[in-house]
Amino acid sequence: MAMERELLKNAFRKPATLIYPFEKVEPPEGLRGKHDYDGDKCIGCGLCARVCPSFAITLKGGPGPKCTGLLVDLGKCLFCQQCEEVCPKEALWLTTAYELAVLNKKDCILDFNRTPPPQPQAPPKKA
Amino acid sequence: MSDRQFVIPIGPQHPALKEPTSFYFTVDGETVVDVEPRIGYNHRGIEKAMESRNYIQNLYITERVCGICSNAHQTAYTGAVEEAGGIQIPERAKYIRVFFHELERIHSHLLWLGVAAHEIGFDTMFYYVWRDRELVMDLLEEISGNRVNYAIPTVGGVRRDLQKDKFPKWHKILDALAERTNYYIKVASTEQTILDRAIGVGYLSKEDMIRLSGVGPNARSSGVPCDTRKTAPYLLYDEIPFEHIHVDNGDVLGQVLVRVLETLESVKICKWVLDHIPDGEITTKFNPLSKIQEGEAAYIVEAQRGELIHYTISDGRNMPYRHKIRAPTLANIPSVVERLKGGYIADIPIVLAGIDPCFSCTDRMAFYDEGKDKSWAWDGEQLRRHGLEWYKK
Amino acid sequence: MSGLITTLIAVLVFPGLFFILTYGLFAQWVSRKAAARLQNRQGPLHTGWQGILQPLADFIKLVAKEDITPAAANKTVFNFTPLFIFALPLAATFLIPIQSITNLWSWTPVASFEGDLIMVLFLMSIVVLAIFLAGWSSGNLFGAVGATRVAFMMLAYEIPLSLVAIGPAILARSLSINSIVNWQAESVAAFLAAPNLWGLVTGMVLFIGFAIYVICLLAELEMRPFDMSEAETEIVHGWQVEYSGKKLALLNAGHDVKMVLAAALLTSLFLGGPAGPVLPPFIWFILKTTFCVLILSNLSVLFARFRIDQLVSGAWRYLVPLAVLQVMAVVALSGVI
Repeated sequence: MAMERELLKNAFRKPATLIYPFEKVEPPEGLRGKHDYDGDKCIGCGLCARVCPSFAITLKGGPGPKCTGLLVDLGKCLFCQQCEEVCPKEALWLTTAYELAVLNKKDCILDFNRTPPPQPQAPPKKA
Repeated sequence: MSDRQFVIPIGPQHPALKEPTSFYFTVDGETVVDVEPRIGYNHRGIEKAMESRNYIQNLYITERVCGICSNAHQTAYTGAVEEAGGIQIPERAKYIRVFFHELERIHSHLLWLGVAAHEIGFDTMFYYVWRDRELVMDLLEEISGNRVNYAIPTVGGVRRDLQKDKFPKWHKILDALAERTNYYIKVASTEQTILDRAIGVGYLSKEDMIRLSGVGPNARSSGVPCDTRKTAPYLLYDEIPFEHIHVDNGDVLGQVLVRVLETLESVKICKWVLDHIPDGEITTKFNPLSKIQEGEAAYIVEAQRGELIHYTISDGRNMPYRHKIRAPTLANIPSVVERLKGGYIADIPIVLAGIDPCFSCTDRMAFYDEGKDKSWAWDGEQLRRHGLEWYKK
Repeated sequence: MSGLITTLIAVLVFPGLFFILTYGLFAQWVSRKAAARLQNRQGPLHTGWQGILQPLADFIKLVAKEDITPAAANKTVFNFTPLFIFALPLAATFLIPIQSITNLWSWTPVASFEGDLIMVLFLMSIVVLAIFLAGWSSGNLFGAVGATRVAFMMLAYEIPLSLVAIGPAILARSLSINSIVNWQAESVAAFLAAPNLWGLVTGMVLFIGFAIYVICLLAELEMRPFDMSEAETEIVHGWQVEYSGKKLALLNAGHDVKMVLAAALLTSLFLGGPAGPVLPPFIWFILKTTFCVLILSNLSVLFARFRIDQLVSGAWRYLVPLAVLQVMAVVALSGVI
């Protein structure tokens, strides 16, 4: 009988359940969600790929200045934020987007692009 | 086994168990005569996986040994690696680690209280306790970004800081948690149906508990004072004022009392940390690819379920040579087998849930032959051969 | 000819088969929604207005699923017992007065004879026997344990249940439920016209009988705190563990009809049945039985689950002496001795 008063009190209050998806919780700002990428800041060092515990990041086009972007496999990602922490240029970060369900496994892979800076022209050969 | 006795298998899939494990109960009518435990359904090869990843990647593997004690595993892992490598962490980092350690203890004990209520059929209390547990889950999500697997400790310190302007709000949340826990203590001690199912059920005396090497709240409910935070203090626990909770009941009611009183103590510790935290750095920079010097270290923490040991051997590279984890539930299995004997079938779920089993933490692969006093481990090829032969039989 | 047609309508449509089945689904919705709101959650929500079609949706879903009979089960018994568990409470509800087809302001049960109270109690006991056979024949260890627990439970609650049910029969000088309801209507009307002390004392004694009857009904309906025959965390679903598909749909429908029967018995024996001012009888019947379902539901979410030995020893130590004392008080009050 100990919980009777609590039960009757709660019977007339609004239930604790949120009727998702019509009512949603506002995610806090530190939430570890989907990645976002700024191609202009990235230098293609590849530290994010080397430090990822589940090997979810691959560099497109090879490491270094000729890197053309990142492939982040959300199916493997742990959302640990280590890639954001280790990036020296703050080019990769996690947003608060948490509704990441997809119907096709290929849609899990985030494709980020980067235009590599133009290669310096070789100086014309002196005759 | 006489004609009247038969064997009931509980597990590996059973609503009473939250994780796969198997117990074979020999019962006579409704009384349990004998128990045979079988563990190993959750073995994932974690220790082997850790040998081929660097120390920062291993941080996230240790976190996923168990979902509920993830922060305890990380605290122990980073403690062991820092001790082996001779790395000192700043004072503020120690305070933040203690804060998360205790917050996770609150979350885990409230989870246990709800699950124990569910095992005796009291679903209403289960729903209410888990609704109030959302307070601490939202707090953890706000600070660390995730509701479980917070990934806060790192080698050299912690990864996220506590913002001072949010402290008053967090104090209010901690006070609300303490008030709700006090309400549940009142319910658990006055609700006759709970007392009927908990008093005298699964009794184990103090001598038997010491003989069977129980740890954690399981042992403290039988009167054994074995809290590692008091007997072998780590981080800041020699400075923080808190009670060493142990009771003499020895039955399921003792387990309930120990855990809810520990929750209140954890709230007090969290509030103390928020009041006394110094300013400063939160981490000494540790390059993910840097090497740890040669050496070995063992680090013991008081996880939610008992004494957790992480032991690491480093041979000078940036990957560990060997890392061994001894989870508390492994030490609690002999005592739970003894508790179950002589009870009823109806008491099996609550006694099993009473030790707060976490079989995800437990399963490691080792052989121990009592007769020859030899211990060894099999490698992958031997395991595969054994599996094929077993299925042919 | 018109007598045959009214009888057919009474048996098949209202207040017979169709009405009881629909009302059973409604009672299940009331029970689930009330339990949910007491536990601070929503309950059924999206099927129909506030989820009122959810029990019907569950029934249709179960009927559409595959119906598996385990190889180790005793097939005849396994297949036939759900029919008994569904049909016997349904037959018992025909003896409860709800509403008369021909006259809007009076009530007649579909069938009535002297001694039909004993018939109802007997049918409820046969249902327990059918449950035991259902669990035992399923060839599953958990089913057998659940079946033995159901049999033990019947040992515990059957005596107080029958004793307390006889109380109003003694006061009404009849064993027919219809006569008991008529006596209650007359005596309440007489009491309101001229209140006296004996009426008050009778009311209090009958209230004690009502409380004991509610507790025994919780055990009969296998609801918490007495659902040890269906304990999910211990024996995975008790005697129903091997049932699936259409047979499980029948079992659930049978449970709903049992709930309606229990609430109807409570109102007929203690609350005055469909009698009441102003409104037609069946409205009063629905209101009173919904009130009983709410009480049962509230008690069900308030407690943890007992062990089987605690139920048997508690029933024989507390309920049986109380029931005997209550019957002795009723006999003294009615001046039969």
